Amino acid sequence: MERRKFIKTSILLAGSAVLGSAHLFGKSTTFPSVVLIKNGKPAEMVRKALDMLGGISQFISKNDIVLLKPNISWDRAPEYAATSNPELMSEVIRLCYQAGAKNVIVLDNTCNEARRCYKNSTLEETAQKAGADVRFVRDNHFSDTPIPNGTALKSWPIHNAVFEANKIINMPILKHHGMSKVTIGFKNMMGLAGGNRGRLHLSFSQKIVDLNRVIVPQLTIVDAIRILKENGPQGGNLEDVIKMDTIIAGTDRVLVDAWSAKIFGLDPNKIEYLRIAHEAGMGEMDTDKFKPTQFVFKS
Amino acid sequence: MKKITSKTWRKTSQIFFFLLFFLTVLQATYPFEPWLPPELFLWFDPLVALAVQIAGRFFAPVFLLSLVFILFPMIFGRAFCGWICPLGTVIDATDRLISPKKIGDFRKVRPIKTFLLVIFLMLALFGVQYSWAMDPLPILWRSVGVFVLSFGFLIVDMILNGFVSVGVFPNVVMDIQDSLSGYLFPVDMPNFENLVIPVLLFFTILGLSRIGRRFWCRTLCPLGALQGIISKIGLFCRKVDSEKCTACGLCRKKCKMDAIEPDFIKTEKSECVMCLSCKGVCPTNAISFGFDSPKKMQTSVDLSKRSFIGAGATALVGAGLFAMSKPDPNRTSEAIRPPGAVAESEFLKRCIRCEECVRICATSGKCLQMSLLETGMMGIWTPVAKFRSGHCEFNCNLCGQICPTKAIQPLELKEKQEIRMGTAIFIKDRCIPYRLNDNCIVCEEHCPVSPKAIQVDEKEIFDPISGQKRIVRLPYIDPELCIGCGICEEKCPLEGKAGICVVREGEERVPV
Repeated sequence: MERRKFIKTSILLAGSAVLGSAHLFGKSTTFPSVVLIKNGKPAEMVRKALDMLGGISQFISKNDIVLLKPNISWDRAPEYAATSNPELMSEVIRLCYQAGAKNVIVLDNTCNEARRCYKNSTLEETAQKAGADVRFVRDNHFSDTPIPNGTALKSWPIHNAVFEANKIINMPILKHHGMSKVTIGFKNMMGLAGGNRGRLHLSFSQKIVDLNRVIVPQLTIVDAIRILKENGPQGGNLEDVIKMDTIIAGTDRVLVDAWSAKIFGLDPNKIEYLRIAHEAGMGEMDTDKFKPTQFVFKS
Repeated sequence: MKKITSKTWRKTSQIFFFLLFFLTVLQATYPFEPWLPPELFLWFDPLVALAVQIAGRFFAPVFLLSLVFILFPMIFGRAFCGWICPLGTVIDATDRLISPKKIGDFRKVRPIKTFLLVIFLMLALFGVQYSWAMDPLPILWRSVGVFVLSFGFLIVDMILNGFVSVGVFPNVVMDIQDSLSGYLFPVDMPNFENLVIPVLLFFTILGLSRIGRRFWCRTLCPLGALQGIISKIGLFCRKVDSEKCTACGLCRKKCKMDAIEPDFIKTEKSECVMCLSCKGVCPTNAISFGFDSPKKMQTSVDLSKRSFIGAGATALVGAGLFAMSKPDPNRTSEAIRPPGAVAESEFLKRCIRCEECVRICATSGKCLQMSLLETGMMGIWTPVAKFRSGHCEFNCNLCGQICPTKAIQPLELKEKQEIRMGTAIFIKDRCIPYRLNDNCIVCEEHCPVSPKAIQVDEKEIFDPISGQKRIVRLPYIDPELCIGCGICEEKCPLEGKAGICVVREGEERVPV
């Protein structure tokens, strides 16, 4: 989307958010770049979010190969909010197939042993039930990929599914992280990187932005249904988990992360990678200027 | 229709028990949902039961199972060796390829196995359990569980990866790989240190048959010796109708155990494994097996009194040597035992080096490795956690669930998560934030305990390299919270030696 057009729509949509209804625009062809849904069940919230963003058909066409990237990094049960919400993910998979997707690939390069993470996060089972192509990540699945315009990284091993798929949906969970204060969409893409990933932690913000130059999701859906406030990203204590029943979704991945950070209780301006990404022209980060279209379910 | 011969029955039994053994080994993998206990054959092994319980001075009811193979030879002689022992079956299978046709005369060296048995049992009396070195069932367990299966995985994975890389149905092949991962193998090729010597030993055992068939079973196997000694009072045995016998010698030529005396009539009870081959080959049907064989037809191989005393003396010297050569604390301070391990001296008395824990760990956190000399001469091939190759998975307690001798005690997951394998320490000359004044904290990110045992202290630091002041997050460890799981050491992004490592300090052992 061109910037001018984007700003224009964003302002219009911000206005609509104030009025409390996205429906004022009727069949308008422009849609919000970020939406915020609250107080619903995971599946109905994500359906609503996609409706407001123009429907799944805005993103997925017939015969698309979709790479869906949840967070399956840790060997934790879903309640611990260390991994993405399974219901949310399975609904997105279902919608992708409904829109005619040929294949929906689900994978993550895990931190704990892969089978444990896939099993105990329950994401493997739910994704398979929804018909997704769940894959384990192996060393030979990565290709060293040049990063044009990369400042800290000139190339890095990236999972081949990124290039096999023609659409990427990023489905991170919102949680605490010692390095970047919070981990959201940009950081979630590290799960598609190979090599010595620990090395990415040096000049972290710069490198995480560089990775996102070559891995470009068309849609980011942030799971803030349960968020992990402390001891992230591993978690392990239910007392650190807060139920928010919120999802933030959108096409502007910087703005989505900025709004998620704000909801998490942080000032987006103090998050270095957002500033770098914004300066690199990857999206907006001014949460005062660009407000999400909201929808709150009545309980 | 062809008549089912006794040979067919024997082979069926051998194949059945080998497959059973193989299935028990396959069970030892994450997710651990066994329908056959992987320890099954080891529980039935009387040599394991005797050596471990005598050396450790304890009694474990599960080892009552091994009474089966104390009682069994009282009736059927060494039929265990001929019909059941899975290592015997493997030896029989390779013998067909490599053994000379001639039986060869090795009668003089046959008592060696009894000599070895006496040494191992005497050592156990002196508190040293070393029978694992030659007990066939632990040998086969570690050879199949750690080597054969992983080697198979390596080959299969290489072929499948080849298909993926040249683009032959890559998605189908990846599906196959993933479903294999779900059952038999981990996702990544496991890494095993110090596997060379045990594997060489395994092939040596098979290769010994180049000298003569079942050479290992005839001359070296201490479990065979134990079966042989009890067989002396065995009821079921070979008998020959001397009127029908034409002394053609076919039976003696056929006997792989060389258990038939030169007169073709007498049988060495302690050697005969009841394979019934002689019966099948006899042209006059003079040979039969039954419960009513005349005593005079049986002899046995005995250990002379002098050899017996010699074995005792050897064991005493051996035990003394072990007692005198305490391992170097500099080296052992970094050898980390699995969570739930009993006190070190007890651990060494119990561990039979079946490597079940190492195998199951290879399908989970991948930290357990066979040691070499890290824990001293006595500790060869015992499991130690090597955190650079893997970590102890926070939610995994499988090594303790699977240990056949409870050298690693079974712990509830909650207990295991609180038990300390050691304590992590920073090596500040290597650690990136301390050395390069740059942020890293990968270790903090991975720390699984909550609150984290690795915390960060933000400090403004002057960086002499760039000449600037910087805010650096310096990690530190709260030793009260650290359980020594080693994930920090594994994930440290430094090449080679990590900037953080787990040492034995503060380790907790479980009482027996």
